[in-house]
Amino acid sequence: MNRVVITGMGAVSACGLGVDSLWAAARDGISGVGPIEFPKLPRQQVKRAATIAPELSTAIWQGGKPRLQDRVTAIALTAAREAVAQSGLAPEDFGADCGVIVGSGYGGAETLDRNMFDFAHDPSARVDPMSIPKIMASAPASWIGMEFGARGTTICISTACSSATQSIGLAAQMIRHGMLTRCIAGGSEALLTTSVFRAWEVLRVMTAGLCRPFSEGRDGMVLGEGAGILVLESRDAALARGATIIAEIGGYGTTGDAGDLLRPDPRGSTDCMIAAIADAGLEPSDIGYVNAHGTGTIANEQSETEALRNVFGNRLGDVLVSSTKPIHGHALGAAGALEFIVAIEALNAQVAPPTINFLGIDPKLGIDPVGNVARPFASNACMSNSFAFGGVNASLVALRHPAG
Amino acid sequence: MMAKIIEIVAAEAMIDSDKLAPDTLLQDLDIQSADYVMILMAIEEKFGVYISVDSELSDARTVGDLMQIVASKIKIASDGETV
Repeated sequence: MNRVVITGMGAVSACGLGVDSLWAAARDGISGVGPIEFPKLPRQQVKRAATIAPELSTAIWQGGKPRLQDRVTAIALTAAREAVAQSGLAPEDFGADCGVIVGSGYGGAETLDRNMFDFAHDPSARVDPMSIPKIMASAPASWIGMEFGARGTTICISTACSSATQSIGLAAQMIRHGMLTRCIAGGSEALLTTSVFRAWEVLRVMTAGLCRPFSEGRDGMVLGEGAGILVLESRDAALARGATIIAEIGGYGTTGDAGDLLRPDPRGSTDCMIAAIADAGLEPSDIGYVNAHGTGTIANEQSETEALRNVFGNRLGDVLVSSTKPIHGHALGAAGALEFIVAIEALNAQVAPPTINFLGIDPKLGIDPVGNVARPFASNACMSNSFAFGGVNASLVALRHPAG
Repeated sequence: MMAKIIEIVAAEAMIDSDKLAPDTLLQDLDIQSADYVMILMAIEEKFGVYISVDSELSDARTVGDLMQIVASKIKIASDGETV
């Protein structure tokens, strides 16, 4: 069995371009959430989201093909270029032994949205002939493969908020078992469009105020967008080419609730975290920091806190738990990748980023989630959780490399 | 107004309205999360009020609790405040 390491990371988020922007914002508690307005929505109830700044548009589309690609692909490619550049992979390192596993919950929302409005306005008008290949959720994975010549397994996992975490997890499993030497893995999401935003609004899980996970007075999530991409390799392959190793992927766990489509079941998330920790050959007490799913809804944190308590028991007070979603927003199909990147940066810096907008401990939860200000920790392992609609749970454990 | 709310809950959650007594436990009615979303959508359409699932509703245990919370949100909204 191969050990699996990370040699490159890339991110596009409401915090800006690049992993450094994302990590600096997460560590310093600077939120990328701001006003969002949809002129076509007559009664917009929720007015904030974590959007990628419009002035980054040129950079995002640099090298992109707007006639063939949706924005969800453009940002995935931007993040992938950063990750590949950092990894130092040469053209000959791709080929059939390099896979691409990149998830998306929604695919090309912007194209779909525009099509719907155009079609409803005039059904006889010409819709974008490239609509289908732009919208398909697998487009980001395919375009990344084409850009770098990665001809190995190419997969798009679409499991809502667990898409990216499962993508990274599956990539790690395949490398571990020798099915791939390396893999470009992560997720991309760009669905802050009129009709999709309205669809989220009517689901009634978004806050009309501020997102404050685990806090008393929390009343919902804040939507985001972005892409997070990692380059995973077998440790042997990375060492053989003299690559710099950022961290090791120690373990991966994934379970299904098989219960309610929207309401999480702590049994599923408990089993998921236990599986990830066991897969890494660790004990819960080895985990120093958890980047929680922490959406800011009542239901998620009730369930996630119960699950954390099941896993960490009386030691829950010793492990630092935080949610960085109020900073980069809930990026859904990209969330797991952005948050795993934040967790790895936290591990390497030995600093747990804060849960901002925190008002105080919710007595019903009794958990203190690194409120408002980052906190140092000393540990060689961290975990990142994604617990999605559909009851799909996924957790990743990262290890410091070399251990400190 | 209570009768109207009962009517909405019965229709959207597909429950016989005879079973919707104030002290009936919501968990005994097997109302799924998706049913709440449908109920709240219908409330918005009928009464023009936006109620998040993360409001006080998350503490509702009985049909009576549900009625009271929804009625108070409608009242607040009709008094001109945002909910």
